[in-house]
Amino acid sequence: MLDSTVNELDYHALNAMLNLYDADGQIRFDADRMAARQYFLQHVNQNTVFFHSLDEKLNYLVSEGYYEEAVLDQYSKNFMRQIWDVAYARKFRFPTFLGAFKYYTSYTLKTRDGQRYLERYEDRVVMTALTLARGEEALAMSFMDEMLSGRFQPATPTFLNAGKASRGELISCFLLRLEDNMESIGRGINSALQLSKRGGGVALLLTNIREHGAPIKGIENQSSGVIPVMKLLEDSFSYANQLGARQGAGAVYLNAHHPDIMQFLDTKRENADEKIRIKTLSLGVVIPDITFELAKKNADMYLFSPHDVEKVYGVPFSELSITDNYAEMVDDKRIRKSKVNAREFFQTVAEIQFESGYPYVMFEDTVNRANPIDGRINMSNLCSEILQVNEASTFNDDLSYEHLGTDISCNLGSLNIAKAMDNRDLGQTVTAAIRALTAVSEMSAIDSVPSVRRGNDESRAIGLGQMNLHGFLAREHIHYDSAEAVEFTSVYFAAVAYHAIRTSCDLARENKVTFKDFEKSEYASGAFFEKYTNRDWLPQSDKVKSLFEGMDLPSQDNWASLKADVMQHGLYNRNLQAVPPTGSISYINNSTSSIHPIVSRIEIRKEGKIGRVYYPAAFMANDNLEYYRDAYEIGPEALIDVYAAATEHVDQGLSLTLFFPSDATTRDINRAQIYAWKKGIKTIYYVRLRQEVLEGTEVEGCVSCAL
Amino acid sequence: MNDLTKIRIPRAINWNRLEDDKDLEVWNRLTVNFWLPEKVPLSNDIPSWNTLTDEEQLLTIRVFTGLTLLDTIQNTVGAPSLMPDAITPHEEAVLTNISFMEAVHARSYSSIFSTLCATKDIDEAFRWSEENPHLQAKAEAILRTYAPGNDPLKRKIASVFLESFLFYSGFYLPMFWSSRAKLTNTADLIRLIIRDEAVHGYYIGYKFQRGYEKLPEEEQLALKDYAFSLLFELYEIESQYTEELYDSIGLTEDVKIFLHYNANKALQNLGFEALFPPEVSEVNPAILAALSPDSENHDFFSGSGSSYVIGKAVATEDEDWDF
Repeated sequence: MLDSTVNELDYHALNAMLNLYDADGQIRFDADRMAARQYFLQHVNQNTVFFHSLDEKLNYLVSEGYYEEAVLDQYSKNFMRQIWDVAYARKFRFPTFLGAFKYYTSYTLKTRDGQRYLERYEDRVVMTALTLARGEEALAMSFMDEMLSGRFQPATPTFLNAGKASRGELISCFLLRLEDNMESIGRGINSALQLSKRGGGVALLLTNIREHGAPIKGIENQSSGVIPVMKLLEDSFSYANQLGARQGAGAVYLNAHHPDIMQFLDTKRENADEKIRIKTLSLGVVIPDITFELAKKNADMYLFSPHDVEKVYGVPFSELSITDNYAEMVDDKRIRKSKVNAREFFQTVAEIQFESGYPYVMFEDTVNRANPIDGRINMSNLCSEILQVNEASTFNDDLSYEHLGTDISCNLGSLNIAKAMDNRDLGQTVTAAIRALTAVSEMSAIDSVPSVRRGNDESRAIGLGQMNLHGFLAREHIHYDSAEAVEFTSVYFAAVAYHAIRTSCDLARENKVTFKDFEKSEYASGAFFEKYTNRDWLPQSDKVKSLFEGMDLPSQDNWASLKADVMQHGLYNRNLQAVPPTGSISYINNSTSSIHPIVSRIEIRKEGKIGRVYYPAAFMANDNLEYYRDAYEIGPEALIDVYAAATEHVDQGLSLTLFFPSDATTRDINRAQIYAWKKGIKTIYYVRLRQEVLEGTEVEGCVSCAL
Repeated sequence: MNDLTKIRIPRAINWNRLEDDKDLEVWNRLTVNFWLPEKVPLSNDIPSWNTLTDEEQLLTIRVFTGLTLLDTIQNTVGAPSLMPDAITPHEEAVLTNISFMEAVHARSYSSIFSTLCATKDIDEAFRWSEENPHLQAKAEAILRTYAPGNDPLKRKIASVFLESFLFYSGFYLPMFWSSRAKLTNTADLIRLIIRDEAVHGYYIGYKFQRGYEKLPEEEQLALKDYAFSLLFELYEIESQYTEELYDSIGLTEDVKIFLHYNANKALQNLGFEALFPPEVSEVNPAILAALSPDSENHDFFSGSGSSYVIGKAVATEDEDWDF
């Protein structure tokens, strides 16, 4: 029946059939595969520029200024023919419509008028490999192999831009500090514009800015607080879209004990006044342990003026642990303060999350306890997985730097857990991934924001992530909410951490240099390694043992000798792992997102550029649906358990979204937050709600409506 | 005629004494679904709007003025005219909510206009809506039924047809655009409206069925005849309206299929059997799938999605803080 309708239906309609059951109540996976095929027949093939040979193609792309000549000049003609031949011989095909559609809409190189395609998927992979290998043939071959096989997928900015002559930055993500003065705020807005223009997401720290009504130059009631700064930032991000590709995106973080905290949250209320309403800027709240302790006692929490704190302590508010200094600040007359009930604060956070999905949450003390690096972490980023230390800058009147501090950048890439496990050699895949990510850091120099440049030069921070956990578990007939899932996650992430650290140590040895202040870190003291040399992180149950059968997993002895190597040679990268939410790249890579459970068996994906498209979960078929229970059915606790197991082995953070049915209450959200905090989770990303369709008003036969 | 000098004092509404649980269920649903157009970042659609041809822009503006008129009717005449017929006081309360949300919908189209179009084009489109014979005929047919003194159940029939059928020739277009990755934020806003209208049509249809059940058989038959003949009349007007609007971009046939589908839905809300056979009401899957508002996984940085609702605030207890 399907075949007869194919000719009449376009690929969008075929794809949409995924979301509508057939007459027998089966999901129509074949319709989606046909949509992918029709997309090539009806659209891609007809709109791709044809070349007779590789030479002709490369000559054209270089002479027309599409490809960066310097990238190709590093390799012999012979090698280039070889790597392209190997790539094309793999016969890569997109398994889903969304994968193909997303790739051709957003990643592939197009003619300048945007009308015709100049690259196939293999070309993008090879160009990325050639760019990152910087002339080393064997490395280029291994990068190509890891990417084309789907084991390693660089983040969007890298995969999109590598090798193109006119392009944005290869780095994904930036985090900037703002200090309590006009120069810093002005410079921060300028930096946000510059970084947005180049294609990054930017987060800014507002904690240090004095509150509404604080004195300026000793005159009372002068300061406007953080809200107008947020307005300025929101407009800046709307203005700086990346060549029209997408709107700039930004986030702001504020400490829970900042006096403007309640107004900060209210900007996301449904009925907020236009003057203070924040629509597109993302919000994050930094919550220390003391806030939980106060809520437990049902006490009030004091909010402290950052201006006064800085005067009293001589360092910005964000440099201080609120938990450690709370009692002292409360008793200090020089610090003006106000208070709100701590439970009411948590309830308000949950109310706003209900209405808007925001704010993100960073558990400040958890993050800093787990941080092996010297310094303090006071903020996170747009996806709440970057957690690094920073240093304040100071400015002269003309906005030049009096002291150049450090700000944070991070480039990301993720492994497809299922593909990496299938290859049986985690060491090989992690090594290639760490080297590819390090190359991006080494090749980047963000001169428009000198503090970011300095931070990257000194730290070479990278973030290796993971995706397709749920897809992998389901394929292996393991439920996401099971003890085996938690056990697998723990073993897998421990092994990844081992290989990541080992590779970074190799890089330090090869380059004879470590990241700055390595000697002050817990890697140098060896303290970091205690939890690995004191116990095993190996599989216990038969089921999980069988998943790792025949694979080398690091033993306590391996860890002990790695510890010795690191203490002797150091590490090249200050930060190694961060698990991002993986939107677009998981579609191209045919994965479930990040290490989350699926949001729906058939996911409705909506984006500005692609419209509304339907995506089936990886490896799902009509006969294994039971393993594809979605995040709303699984509930927050099982999800937090899996994340807690992974968090143990990730030096930075993991984007963790909480999912609730819309009949949940703010209390349910608060309980999940408390549970997450207790289990050592570092950050919470979005809160998502799903509203069940009122019986009698549903679209008939709709897969995503049926529960 | 009612005696206008006699003042009717309403009973104080007691939500703890429900005569029909459906009233509370729908009330709860409608209140958590409350939204305002400011929630949707419509201005993100400006680049996309500029990629539409002049003809496509004109069509879009006209479609939305047509929808504005229907929402205005429902807000100012439709929902209020149902109130005196309410069987329970809670039904009246639900109807006031419906009436207000229709005003929000009408307001939303103006938000779309002011974000995307020039004043001159907006004024021109409103003039067009006042002069278009099909649109006026549509309004006339509904308003005739709403007239004071008319049969309460007939009013409900008209109301369901408006909520569940007449809107959809207009809703088709933003759903079509969004399936082609155009005006996706506008489509989000329309999906919020669809979410509301689906509940409205369902609820008014439900109340119709409760009244209909109590009638003797011959009155039932007469009423059903009335419903089908009104639907035929509306369908005739709607077909011409659709042709006039959509011929220019060649979508008329598809829109008509969508009309059949929704006519069947409207009849289903009234408890009647389908009118159009399945083979002429098989909607393009891209449009049908686009109607389901729930659980979409949107990219937060380019839109706001339609799945967020106002939450139920419940204070935490000591046991929650047990650590």
